Amino acid sequence: MEIIPGFLSWGIIITFIILAIFNPVSCAIIIIVFDFYWIIRTVYLTTLLVMAHNKLYRQKDINWLIKCRRVGVQAGLDRLKHLIIFPVYKEGLDILRPSLKSIQECNYPKEKVIVVVAFEERNPQARENALKLESEFKNKFFRYISTFHPDGVPGESRTKGANATWGAKKAKELLQSEGIKDEDVVVSCFDADTCVDKEYFGCLSYHFLTVPNPHQASYQPIPVYNNNIWQAPSFARLVEISSSFCQMIESMRLEKFVTFSSHSMSFKTLVDIDYWPVDMVSDDSVIYWKAFLFFKGAYRVLPLYITVSMDVAYSSNFFKTIRLQYKQKRRWAWGVENFPFLINGFLNEKQIPLAKKIRRSFHLLESHVTWAVWAVILVFIGPLPLILGGAFFNQMAIGYNLPKITGLLFNFTLLASLAWIILSRIILPPRPKSVSWLKNVIMILEWVMVPFIIIIVGSLPALDAQTHLLLGRYMEFNPTQKNKRVI
Amino acid sequence: MPNEQKIRAILFYLSVAVFFGGLPLILSSALGYKFNPHTFKFTKTGIISLKTQPQGAEVYLNGRLLNQKTPATINELLPGSYHLKLVLKKHYPWIAQVNVEPRKVARFEKIILFPNRPDIEQLNQNKISDFWMDKEGDRVYYLNQEEHILYRSDLQGERFEEIGNIPAEFSALPEDLKISPDKQKMLIFNAHQVCILYLKPQGTYSVQAPVILNFPGKQIDKVFWHSDSYHLVLATDNNIEVLDIESISNPVNLVNLNKKISDVFYDVDKNTLYFMDSQIAEDGTYYDNVYKLELGSEERLLRDLIKSKQNANK
Repeated sequence: MEIIPGFLSWGIIITFIILAIFNPVSCAIIIIVFDFYWIIRTVYLTTLLVMAHNKLYRQKDINWLIKCRRVGVQAGLDRLKHLIIFPVYKEGLDILRPSLKSIQECNYPKEKVIVVVAFEERNPQARENALKLESEFKNKFFRYISTFHPDGVPGESRTKGANATWGAKKAKELLQSEGIKDEDVVVSCFDADTCVDKEYFGCLSYHFLTVPNPHQASYQPIPVYNNNIWQAPSFARLVEISSSFCQMIESMRLEKFVTFSSHSMSFKTLVDIDYWPVDMVSDDSVIYWKAFLFFKGAYRVLPLYITVSMDVAYSSNFFKTIRLQYKQKRRWAWGVENFPFLINGFLNEKQIPLAKKIRRSFHLLESHVTWAVWAVILVFIGPLPLILGGAFFNQMAIGYNLPKITGLLFNFTLLASLAWIILSRIILPPRPKSVSWLKNVIMILEWVMVPFIIIIVGSLPALDAQTHLLLGRYMEFNPTQKNKRVI
Repeated sequence: MPNEQKIRAILFYLSVAVFFGGLPLILSSALGYKFNPHTFKFTKTGIISLKTQPQGAEVYLNGRLLNQKTPATINELLPGSYHLKLVLKKHYPWIAQVNVEPRKVARFEKIILFPNRPDIEQLNQNKISDFWMDKEGDRVYYLNQEEHILYRSDLQGERFEEIGNIPAEFSALPEDLKISPDKQKMLIFNAHQVCILYLKPQGTYSVQAPVILNFPGKQIDKVFWHSDSYHLVLATDNNIEVLDIESISNPVNLVNLNKKISDVFYDVDKNTLYFMDSQIAEDGTYYDNVYKLELGSEERLLRDLIKSKQNANK
């Protein structure tokens, strides 16, 4: 199963190259079909993005706490507690403080909030940082605890999931001692740099209290990277804006929607499914599939049109930033490990309808294979028949039309980029006074880098991750270095 | 189902419809097929691609003016022969009979439309009978054979000036003209004479009387300046000689040739002569070879060479 995604991706690329050499006409036909598909897909997805954006914009001024109170005691608002877990490895106080502060400043009663900062014991700074944060935040919430995940627990890998699970288990002990039931708790697992919108917990509570079967759902906010977006270099900023947009598009495609990065779910469900995986890198998405299998397919991800803001990952210079972004995207693409996990789960699970199994497996496989090959096909494979096809191909009508159709595709992509530029301006936080107004112009002009970016952080990291999985060279969790933010 | 999911579903099915509806049209068009809505059949067609220099020519296909100018692509042409005419004001038209093959493109992408009133400009301002180009020195040299006058101008014909008189003894028309590497002298030669003219760096007339060297018993093929600008290398019909123009000494014979010299090149940077000559084998067969003769970049070496040869001749 681990071989399939990489095998398919490489198979597609190699087949294209062989066809370009030995049968350039067939290769050109497939490229034109793909180009046309991509044009329609771009229009379709951009429309979804506009719709998601519109929904986010419409909901941004809602006072969710008032809406929760309208739902009232009957729905269980008075019993509801929020457990927030921050798995931390090397992130320092400059990263953690603003995240905790954002929770403290939420429009939600703090006596309903339990915070767990889950440190890794192998980080020598952990204890010291924990003490400092405790002195600042201990009395700000209903409960605040620091946990220290020991290194080398049998059966575990050095992953974020292992640390989050350790923290969640400690929280479970705390809840039991406080007499709080698991079903009255919503757990949010946040990256260390996650700053929530002040309405986040109101919005989450409202949805949890009002949707049918709230324990059979994960709640996914829209991740944006606004913490340091004005300070980040163009390349990193564009990549992260694109990531936000992809997540917004996904939020409109509910049948494919999977948890990503910071998200929330029922604590009861988390306990029932035995917490996050402790030996897999992509804990944020695997947790969804674990729940999906546990509930025999009756589990979904509900989009919350409210933002959680994180840091743009960048480094001291351009090339280091590319490297950093590449590694981060490769880690995301390592989510391809979900495929063998899911297939094995499906094989052992008889109650999920076959059609649903096939549909979900196909969606997962297709999304990862497309991720790995689309930019390669558009940028590298597209011109291959013209280069390798020789004089014969160049005198054929299709040889003449291929570059024109490819050019049309790029024009369409440019048009879509225009929509993306406008939308990116809307989700931007206000410009800090220390940043020149010229940055506004730069932030528009920088979109010309998109073709370059789609290769660097588009296909290549995904292809890299799938090749690792194909060869059985498993990746360890490698947290992305985040820079000190400026709010 | 929420509203946006309904819209999304409509959008999705619409996209699918556009994809499957548009794909056959795009593919058939890309492959060179044209759909005939009357017969509901696809017909094989060809393409003509036109690119001209300069652009913007009107395109006439079988006498009919098309609504596009070059660069142009004429699509969906039924296979066959077409009369094509490209018309651009103030340029000669380009006319061709073009054969269009099914599913192929006839490319005419290197068409040059020449101006019908070419920009011809006369450079000389006096009567002349011959000229030479010195592109490196940005000069054109002109000869008035009747009056034995040499002129020069720059490559645009400007700064046209008389630079000297050729002595009347220099009887036949010069075969070539060469400027010395120091740009202060010029030589012209014919079959039996070499004339050295001294040039002022920026003036019009010579500072020193011309010198004529006569070679009555030989036929001069080529004359080269040595890099020192004081020696000449002569390739004649039966030997290769070198002479010092300062002392007007007797030429020194460097090489006797077995046959009339055909090709000879002189690399002035390395002062090396490359020439072709024959060699007779034991069986009496002639073999042509290319030889290299180094004349040394230092003047002293050349003087030594001349001296030793002169001593040998004595």
